[in-house]
Amino acid sequence: MLTEETLVQQLKQPESQTRAFEVLVNTYKERLYWHIRRIVLNHDDADDVLQNTFIKVYKNIDGFKGDSKLFSWMYRIATNESLSFLKKKAKLIGVGDVELQQQLVGNLQTDVYFEGDVIQLRLQEAIATLPEKQKLIFNMKYFEELKYEEISEILDTTVGGLKASYHLAVKKIKVHLKID
Amino acid sequence: MKNLDKKNSFKTPDGYFESFTERLLTKITNSGSAEREPNIPKEEGFIVPEAYFDDLHKNIKRKLNKKEAKVVQFRPLRKYYLVAASVAAIVLVLFGINWNTAQKVSFEDLANTDIETYFENNGLGLTTYEIAEVIPIDDLEIDDFIENRMDEENLIEYLNNNIDDFEQLNLDSDE
Repeated sequence: MLTEETLVQQLKQPESQTRAFEVLVNTYKERLYWHIRRIVLNHDDADDVLQNTFIKVYKNIDGFKGDSKLFSWMYRIATNESLSFLKKKAKLIGVGDVELQQQLVGNLQTDVYFEGDVIQLRLQEAIATLPEKQKLIFNMKYFEELKYEEISEILDTTVGGLKASYHLAVKKIKVHLKID
Repeated sequence: MKNLDKKNSFKTPDGYFESFTERLLTKITNSGSAEREPNIPKEEGFIVPEAYFDDLHKNIKRKLNKKEAKVVQFRPLRKYYLVAASVAAIVLVLFGINWNTAQKVSFEDLANTDIETYFENNGLGLTTYEIAEVIPIDDLEIDDFIENRMDEENLIEYLNNNIDDFEQLNLDSDE
């Protein structure tokens, strides 16, 4: 098992770059996919964003100085790519962010890659009502089970702030599930 | 007191104690469900196509290797007419101060494309306001900027489509 530092070094060397990139993709593809999928909801969109994320990582690896973990850096790129993808999508179809979220959740009912039951659909509706950052924090903590310290590094937010946001998000989701 | 009959005269239904624990637990579960906070499901219901992750690296590699299509910038020439006119005015002013009749190359010898190429490579370095200060607008005609002159029919059609109350313009009136 390669250490992160070794992998980064190999990614920066032309002779080992190709092999190292394959290792990188295979190591992080699933975690990043699910992170992206929870933001964009649709598989095809998630696939696009995931591929672009890896391409961006590949092209910008020389700019990675090791100030944060490689994993946090990639998560940050994936998050930014997903959010800008959604913004572009909203602009393209001429709707606001909130309206787009409602549309995305509405599309899940006919999505062949969504097998959720009524409760799971309701959960997605509840998550869609959260503000952008709360949504990210909730997904990263509840589903991806990241530590607050890791989320803090990815989203550049204090642990205290994250805890407060998570608490609020859980409360809102529970209220939403209860009301419905 | 010694002869007090210790025999319990109360009875319980058959199997009462055997099933007690189970019944109690069921009651706790049911009675609590209305007040309990709703559980947030851990499963989300999202799935991915079969073997999606197996082919991912191959797909990324293909995308990475694909040469980006060369973007040819569309440059409408119209804006260069204004630049050319500006250049013409500036050069005329400069040349007009020290006009030398013996000059072999005059401004007329410069092709518009040469001027455009010059400014494409060197930049104008002047703001719109600076150009406006230098160029006398009195001598400019609308034809200097637009290629196709609008005829009356087109004007009427444009106004008809874009003015809320076309009749109010009284176009046919002599007033």
